[in-house]
Amino acid sequence: MNGRKTVWDHLFTLLVTAIYLFLMSPILLVVILSFNAGEFLSLPIEGMSLRWFVALFHNTRFLDATLHSLLLAAVAAVVNGVIGTLAAIYVVRFAGPRLANPLRLLMSAPLLVPEILTAIALLFYFFELGVGNNYGLAIQVGHIIVTFPYVFLNVSSALFNFDRSQEEAARSLGAGGWMTFRRVTLPAVKPGLITGCLFAFVISFDIFNISLLLKSVGMNTLPLELFDYLRFNFDPTAAAIATVSIGVTFVAVVIVDRTVGLRSLRF
Amino acid sequence: MIAATRKRVWWMIVPALVLLVGFLVLPYASIVVMSLRTADTRAVYGEGFTLSHYAQIVTDPFIWGIVGRSLRMGLTVTVVTLLLGYPVAYHLANLRSRWASMLYIFVISPLLVGMVVRTFAWMIILSNNGVINGALKSLGLIERPILLLNTPLGVTIALIHVFLPFVILPLLGNLQAISPDLAAAGRSLGASRLRTFLKVTLPLSLPGIQAGAILVFVLSISAYVTPAMLGGTRGRTMSVLVVQYLVDSFRWPAGAALAIFMSAITLAIIVVYLRLTARAMRRLP
Repeated sequence: MNGRKTVWDHLFTLLVTAIYLFLMSPILLVVILSFNAGEFLSLPIEGMSLRWFVALFHNTRFLDATLHSLLLAAVAAVVNGVIGTLAAIYVVRFAGPRLANPLRLLMSAPLLVPEILTAIALLFYFFELGVGNNYGLAIQVGHIIVTFPYVFLNVSSALFNFDRSQEEAARSLGAGGWMTFRRVTLPAVKPGLITGCLFAFVISFDIFNISLLLKSVGMNTLPLELFDYLRFNFDPTAAAIATVSIGVTFVAVVIVDRTVGLRSLRF
Repeated sequence: MIAATRKRVWWMIVPALVLLVGFLVLPYASIVVMSLRTADTRAVYGEGFTLSHYAQIVTDPFIWGIVGRSLRMGLTVTVVTLLLGYPVAYHLANLRSRWASMLYIFVISPLLVGMVVRTFAWMIILSNNGVINGALKSLGLIERPILLLNTPLGVTIALIHVFLPFVILPLLGNLQAISPDLAAAGRSLGASRLRTFLKVTLPLSLPGIQAGAILVFVLSISAYVTPAMLGGTRGRTMSVLVVQYLVDSFRWPAGAALAIFMSAITLAIIVVYLRLTARAMRRLP
């Protein structure tokens, strides 16, 4: 590049900076207001305090909702980690050219259809099955379905970038199918698996529409709890709930960034 | 060898197939079935099948009004996110400094923070004594607060923020795949930077624009959380209406028909859009 910067370059930088700020500032605002010592959700804050977080930890509804969300997300991540990885290996390695594309489309389908429609579909379906929203089954299946593509796509893309001949070498050296899988294939897809599972976890933790329509009576998830709270209240407690949720996401993002790098993420 | 192995490993795909066919494909079929059932005041649905829910929907001006509003909002959100997202994607694609990965986190993290949290942030910003009205008041520009909460405008602003990363990411992938040599060639042949952008980079990034636009349009048309929290009755969209049918008034068959109606309209728009953009892209050099 010929290095001289023109007025237009500076204007462009200004514009782009403004858009980055637009992206980040609402989230920062929520975090800042959750530490507000005052009673209101408005700027400027009246000093720093942890009082709203302390209040949260004495609130059993909130603790139950957090645990419920963590459990749903953990089960979704683990189940998808297993079946998503198996499916990705099959589709990338064995399905053959004619079967691979339709299968890939089917496996990405939960991302391609609106979440609210999937929630409605599952609501009717579980009702027709006679299960309804009992046992927390419908909501868990919904969380697994919606987050499935994150594991499938991330493991698939890790497999694409991996040289098959390593597996063939292991086989020709006498390793059995399981041994080859455990010692060669699995380490190769590990970055994709970590990214996929963590994002399945994060997305599940934040899912709203599925939870709204499929939840069991009296079992709120964290986003539902926040939504319900905001119907009748508007104070920094809500910001504290939101900050807890942002914290969970942030931890997952940092783990992915440190272990495999954020850019490997596939949507 | 692969064919022989394929026969032995077929079981690997079975759990995923059970999940997706058993709990995605079949449930979608159940929306169609539900939409054809008769209404009943004592049970979820009555005996027999009917098309009357569809007939009621297409003849109801109130529903068409909400459809129109949803489509207008979806279109506005799509256009504005493209206008705001393109510069960011262009900037990130050409950035070669240590800032790049931090700015990438800026783009991606709003996406990972839950919809309810992001919408809640906009409640704080848009409310009558919120950030915007507070700032305008302290600057002396207004005396009474501008009403932003519970209006279509408020929902539109929040949706733009919520879905902006969804245009940036496909565009970024697309722009990064364009060889920088092409723009350099344009420049070395004496074209100005603007001309190079308009004649080389922009046409080559049309597939990214097309993909991002569809994604955002579908997402904003079907969004529930943001219009439900920020829209009130004046900013109500199709999704909000469907959920009201299902949850508040417990009219499952009518709600199912409304959901199908809303999907059919969205699908029709996408098909027309793909036809038009495909024709436009074929005309490119």
